[in-house]
Amino acid sequence: MGLGLLASRLIRPQKTAARNLLLRSIVTKPELQSAEPATTPQPDLPPRTPLAGARVHFPNPDDAIEVFVDGYPVKIPKGMTVLQACEVAGVDIPRFCYHSRLSIAGNCRMCLVEVEKSPKPVASCAMPALPGMKIKTDTPVAKKAREGVMEFLLMNHPLDCPICDQGGECDLQDQSMAFGSDRGRFTEVKRSVVDKNLGPLCCDMIKLGRVLWGIVKLLGVQDLGMLGRGSGEEIGTYVEKLMTSELSGNVIDICPVGALTSKPFAFKARNWELKGTETIDVTDAVGSNIRIDSRGPEVMRITPRLNEDINEEWISDKTRFCYDGLKRQRLNDPMIRGADGRFKAVSWHDVLAVVAEIAHQVKPEEMVGIAGKLSDAESMMALKDFLNKMGSNNVWCEGNGPSPNADLRSGYIMNTGINGLENADVFLLVGTQPRVEAAMVNARIRKTVRGSNAKVAYVGPPTEFNYDCEHLGTGPETLTEIAEGRHSFCSTLSNAKNPAIIVGAGLFERSDKDAIFSAVEAIAKNGNVVRPDWNGFNVLLLNAAQAAALDLGLVPESSQSIESAKFVYLMGADDVDLEKLPNDAFVVYQGHHGDRGVYRANVVLPASAFSEKEGTYENTEGCTQQTLPAVPTVGDARDDWKIIRALSEVAGVKLPYDTVGAIRSRIKTVAPNLLSVEEREPATFWASLKPDATQKTSSTPFKAAIENFYMTDSITRASKIMAQCSALLLKK
Amino acid sequence: MASSRVLSLTRAHRLALLSSRRWLSSHPLAEVNPCEVGMISGIPEQHLRRRVIIYSPARTATQQGSGKVGRWKINFLSTQKWENPLMGWTSTGDPYANVGEAGLDFESEEAAKAFAEKHGWEYEVKKRHTPLLKPKSYAGNFKWKGPAN
Repeated sequence: MGLGLLASRLIRPQKTAARNLLLRSIVTKPELQSAEPATTPQPDLPPRTPLAGARVHFPNPDDAIEVFVDGYPVKIPKGMTVLQACEVAGVDIPRFCYHSRLSIAGNCRMCLVEVEKSPKPVASCAMPALPGMKIKTDTPVAKKAREGVMEFLLMNHPLDCPICDQGGECDLQDQSMAFGSDRGRFTEVKRSVVDKNLGPLCCDMIKLGRVLWGIVKLLGVQDLGMLGRGSGEEIGTYVEKLMTSELSGNVIDICPVGALTSKPFAFKARNWELKGTETIDVTDAVGSNIRIDSRGPEVMRITPRLNEDINEEWISDKTRFCYDGLKRQRLNDPMIRGADGRFKAVSWHDVLAVVAEIAHQVKPEEMVGIAGKLSDAESMMALKDFLNKMGSNNVWCEGNGPSPNADLRSGYIMNTGINGLENADVFLLVGTQPRVEAAMVNARIRKTVRGSNAKVAYVGPPTEFNYDCEHLGTGPETLTEIAEGRHSFCSTLSNAKNPAIIVGAGLFERSDKDAIFSAVEAIAKNGNVVRPDWNGFNVLLLNAAQAAALDLGLVPESSQSIESAKFVYLMGADDVDLEKLPNDAFVVYQGHHGDRGVYRANVVLPASAFSEKEGTYENTEGCTQQTLPAVPTVGDARDDWKIIRALSEVAGVKLPYDTVGAIRSRIKTVAPNLLSVEEREPATFWASLKPDATQKTSSTPFKAAIENFYMTDSITRASKIMAQCSALLLKK
Repeated sequence: MASSRVLSLTRAHRLALLSSRRWLSSHPLAEVNPCEVGMISGIPEQHLRRRVIIYSPARTATQQGSGKVGRWKINFLSTQKWENPLMGWTSTGDPYANVGEAGLDFESEEAAKAFAEKHGWEYEVKKRHTPLLKPKSYAGNFKWKGPAN
């Protein structure tokens, strides 16, 4: 026995791992040399955690079964597949056609695993897990099966990885490195496919396998299909059709290979050059969670990120492709309109002095402040504080109508929650077309309709849905009929277990808004829509700023203030009707795009867009989220709230905050829910506390709230891709 | 002779063990107070009073693998970038511009928090979103879901 060995025997650590690390001496393990077999290591094994920190949903806690994955016991709910069991056990099974949010296709065969007592490898994505099943994911059988499948899949795959857009974030690339063979036996000529025109958003390059089976399920349009058979098979749209869905961009994410890639992003950047910033979307009121990928000072693309409660893993096309609007029509410098009607760039110092001087020349009640669709809570708070300090209370957010109801929070948020809509079994859509107003909410409704056969009824102008929908009527009289129990839909509503009513925020602009809302509340009361365990009364907002504006109390003192205004402060407000504004009124436009508001403006103050600032937004279900800056601001632009803060100091009414933290603590005194980030704050009081409306409903039918899905705000209106989309896809 | 060498060896090991154990637990010099690392490291003061965001990056939407999911990163909210007119490359005035993206990566939220505290950064932690696994089956594709509307 050598000396070193002897020494190490003597100082053998007493089974402490930490010491073992410090003492790097040679250690023998006599127990390994002993003849008797080692006992099963199971008791010592740390419990495995599910992949990606996944939570497991047990529909019925009694129906749990136990299976063994590579010897580790895991408890899973009955009905899960073998692949899901492996996920719960923390084992990642290679897959192509399986996507956790689509129905199971089961045709790529990449997920083959060995199951004890099964003669052949099993496609784990389609095989239900059974009690006591012994799954082996790391055996020679499973490895050989994967290698074989990989070889078949790569047979017709082009060797394009260095120039393919998917290269670097491609499942096929990764999995062929991990599981593929190191050489191929294919000597014939590879098949090639001509590029297809799927519209302005996606381009189809090369097809692999038959992976697109599930896509149709998500989009709800049967536009994409399989043509031909065998090696002649291709993905295509039927008869020269373009993909017309507001969620079509998601096929790019679903496709595990580079067969479907983003056309605007094609060959623009490589994904490893990109810096990802996790933020949220503001083009609609859903607040989808997104990642902005930027290269240097430029936004290169927008991709979704997971949030089970809001957007799952999807985003709408508007969200995904509006980013080129962030680079066009931007306001760079502060500008003042000269006597000749042309803008002249001036310094911040001069422009603020001019604005402050004119603000002091008008009477307080002649001052009006309007927040835009994309305003964050911080800037709206600053705007309201500034105008209040100047003596005016005519401040509101566009889209909330002339006399918004900000008293009862339940009257302007989605009380069920976007995720909660999945539990509903009857939907009544009042004056809203979620497909264009909030595509992610529509995706939830569609999921519910497909999953549990929920019924959908709709009151509003004729339109197209991508699920079965009963059109009850077009105007308020249908609502009155339902409220008074004279309509045939009443029985459906009262028989429903979890009915949900969704009222569109387009109705906020109507003069008979209160009467319509009291009719809807009567329907809710008769249909037992609001119960302690279920609140099915929802308002679907249109813009990202609306909910926070109402929470902060941006309510105008008089609804006629525009007619008598002499000083109008537009904070990104582009869709306000300025027709009635007197000609001698002084208009300040603060915003990031040269859009409609600039036409009438006397002074332009450049501000930063949502991708360049930190801002708090509240989405339609009352969930507060924050954006983070991804790219630098353009030109001499500043954050919205900073501009107002600076202006207040020049005007002599200094606002008492100069950091984001300070303005947030100011918000806390007004609306504390805007500080609990990523939390959904439900409304406390139900609208029954409201006094009865004395208004009468008018007979004017409801109007569509959004004419063009692709162009709703200053960013999307500046986007070239969105313009192409509306030209091509909304063509009648 | 041999035995004495063994003895000295073991003693040396034990000493090393003892000292290292003490260093790990409560050596007065090894104690790290908040902000201290920054103070002695020569980092300019403006970078010691930064706001950072601690977050756990979401899975890439185009990929299914979970290997990179669950790590924690620090976002320095660094946007001081411009395109350099000479070569068209991206210039930055922020020494932390590329640190958060490429250089810092933590096993857990606590580790990232401790790191930020050590440097004296004001931090905010973003909630990590995790998927919800619901049972699904191949047979569900062909299930009769009641009469159509």
